[in-house]
Amino acid sequence: MEASAVVHPRFAELDHAEPRLTERMVAWAFAGSGVAIFAVMGLVGLTMRMAQGDVIDLSPTWFYRLMTLHGAGMLTGALLAMMGALWFVVRSSVPLSLERMLASLVLILVGAVGVIVATVVGGFGTGWTFLSPLPYFPAGQWHTWATATFLAGLLAVGAGFFLFCLDVLMKVTAIYGGLGRSLGIPFLLDREDTAPPPQVIAATVVAIEGSLASAVGTTVVVAMIGKTIDAGVGLDALWAKNLIYFFGHSVANLIIYLAAGAIYVLVPRYAGRPWKTTKPIVVGWLFTLLFVTFAYSHHLYMDFVQPTSLQIVSTFASFGASIPVAVVTIYTGMMLVWGSRYRWTLASTLLYLGFAGWLIGGTGAVLDSIIPFNFRFHNTLWVVAHFHTYLMLCVIFWALAFVAHLLEEAAGRTAPRGPSTFALVAMGLGGYGLVAMWYVSGMLGVPRRYAVQPTGTSGYSMAGAIFVMVFAIGFLVLVWQFLRLALAARERGTYELVERRSSWTGVRYLARERREPDVAPEEPLPEVPEPAGRALATPFQLGTMVAVAVVCLFAFLPPVSRAAEQSTRYHHLLHGGEFLLGAALGLIVASLPGVHSQLGWRAADVGLAAVILAPALLMLAMEPAVYEPLNDRPILHFLYHDAIAILGVAVGIGAGSLGRITGRIAFVLALGMMLMYAAGAGGG
Amino acid sequence: MHYGEPQVGIGIAFLVLALVIASVFVIVASHTTADVPFERVQRVGYWLRKRWLAFLVLLLVLVVGLSLFRLPYATGGGRRTVVEVVGGQFFWIIRPSALPVDTPIRFDVTSKDVNHGFGVYDPAGHLVGSVQAMPGYHNKLDLTFHTRGTYRVLCFEFCGLSHHLMQGSFTVR
Repeated sequence: MEASAVVHPRFAELDHAEPRLTERMVAWAFAGSGVAIFAVMGLVGLTMRMAQGDVIDLSPTWFYRLMTLHGAGMLTGALLAMMGALWFVVRSSVPLSLERMLASLVLILVGAVGVIVATVVGGFGTGWTFLSPLPYFPAGQWHTWATATFLAGLLAVGAGFFLFCLDVLMKVTAIYGGLGRSLGIPFLLDREDTAPPPQVIAATVVAIEGSLASAVGTTVVVAMIGKTIDAGVGLDALWAKNLIYFFGHSVANLIIYLAAGAIYVLVPRYAGRPWKTTKPIVVGWLFTLLFVTFAYSHHLYMDFVQPTSLQIVSTFASFGASIPVAVVTIYTGMMLVWGSRYRWTLASTLLYLGFAGWLIGGTGAVLDSIIPFNFRFHNTLWVVAHFHTYLMLCVIFWALAFVAHLLEEAAGRTAPRGPSTFALVAMGLGGYGLVAMWYVSGMLGVPRRYAVQPTGTSGYSMAGAIFVMVFAIGFLVLVWQFLRLALAARERGTYELVERRSSWTGVRYLARERREPDVAPEEPLPEVPEPAGRALATPFQLGTMVAVAVVCLFAFLPPVSRAAEQSTRYHHLLHGGEFLLGAALGLIVASLPGVHSQLGWRAADVGLAAVILAPALLMLAMEPAVYEPLNDRPILHFLYHDAIAILGVAVGIGAGSLGRITGRIAFVLALGMMLMYAAGAGGG
Repeated sequence: MHYGEPQVGIGIAFLVLALVIASVFVIVASHTTADVPFERVQRVGYWLRKRWLAFLVLLLVLVVGLSLFRLPYATGGGRRTVVEVVGGQFFWIIRPSALPVDTPIRFDVTSKDVNHGFGVYDPAGHLVGSVQAMPGYHNKLDLTFHTRGTYRVLCFEFCGLSHHLMQGSFTVR
């Protein structure tokens, strides 16, 4: 078999599934988009570093625009590449939806365009963190439309990721029979002998945490869009900071865990050893789920009004999150390659180097997660150093490894050793040199996000820019190798070498002939039941939800409405009660056996749109600018409150169509979004 | 600016750890070409992993536990000179701006517009630490200065176009 040139000889003996054409195409679309975005954003980064090093002249206006673009763009590019990689490796055992994945891609790319337009054309420059209320204090640099466009772009990116996560949750829990099984918990407790493969466990954890992060992100972004419509809306700064960092930190963190899922499948191809689910892997992922949820608060260590208990929990979570990585994932990876006659190709070398970047960057991050240390390093260039170590020298390396893997598989060979080695050495030297300059600047106390570096420190930036150029040279050589592999793959796909015998001389020879097109149908996807189970499965559950609906009816009573007029937050809670009433009714209806049996995957498509869109629409409708003009028009006012309940019905029915697990999660998240909004948005 | 003392220590610790990690990766890479039965790798690897886990958990408890005794968060009352700090695009108001040496100071830090960061450098240019200035909230930072001179303040949270120009100062005498 030709492909043996790029995989370990023993790999064929391992239990594995070959990806179908569909998986390859989707992988190409995501990895290609991701790496292209990375390349452009890398140039943006180089421009910034050169400006900080006084090599080029760039106005602060443009520096901060580019800084915002670079941060948001890089995260989007890395997210795309790694979503594609995880989908690629999981779909052989879990029939994830092609249509939904493509919808995710479109949403994320549309969002990326929004971010580009807002920053480059609109001049939006708050940094990717867009901490409220900075977007509303532009100092003459951007218009309200740019703020709204940037936020809408982020909303689209978040919606794309949300859709991906919900689809993964739905399919994984349907195939493996529940959330606990998808996480391997019965296997951990010795109740079952088998567990899902590790990439499925990773996908489940990412999907749970990603859904939560997306819901939180949607809430804060919609609330901030609302403030662009009605400047009178008051957003609590601490509330916004918590939500923004929960969203941003979690998504950035999950990018690496998406990648980890892909690594479980890719490394065995080169090591010839299986990466099986073991109890430490299950425990590691359960702790990861816990730690990632609480780690975000380290971004608020220097906000002393944040509850100290939360800061301490965050310290344990931030430090603790490194333990599953160091003890399970990276450690097992090292065990797999040790003494394995590892097949060193371009892809497998990038994979290996990525492990080192993860561990070194993680160490820098762990040191920064200790509160007294953070007091000295918070928002210095040390922070920039450690996250670039694991994003640039791990995630980007793995994204490139994934592309190299696809190309090597298609070409049946790897790239020549000389240029590949040159590319990797240049990228390693350039990358580590760049981050070293940031670590040193951090020790010096240089603050981050400065268009002009403090006196006497621009030399570090200049050196950093030189290292970026070294990295860029390596990257270009790598792209050249990719092109060579792509040409080889095209040749291999179009032509084949066939043994022929000359009719004149009788000599045998190899002839290059056009290959017959491969029209064999794809392997069928594994059977998957309809969205598994009803969200309200027992009479008790149905009865409880009926009771909830009855209680929520009180929201429509005039005395309650009048009491809610006392403050905007009470008023939002009243809207929440109406929304919950509708959602409860919708969920009850969708859970009735006669109705639920009629709901199939098509209904789930509509359901997904409902649970993602309706809460966002509800929060926009809760803008005082929308409902205050209706106060003097009783009929319209009444219809407005009915419309809120109808949005709730849409969420309830939508959640009911997603099955027992995903439906319940989507229902709770929608309510959570509404409550979070009510807690943080006031004024009007 | 000058390298701060704890920062240099932490930086050296990080450098040592990074070199150890890099060495481990080089050693592992050099052993990938051998053909060792996986059962043997697993037997040794699992034995070592238990100890590695125990070491990391112990390290977590020790380091995080010890760090809790050095939290920068202001607690309790006591006799302190209270300094009002207000950040705004793109200035600092620090009242009073002349502070006594060797005296506990409590900075009451807030913002009149967007998020800022109150980053304090001692007269030699060492970063003492930072605290966020947030609209609607008052973060309280306790510090005692033992060196006389002018302390510089830079903004430590991105706050807009002239973020890098937002400077202030106070004197200790």
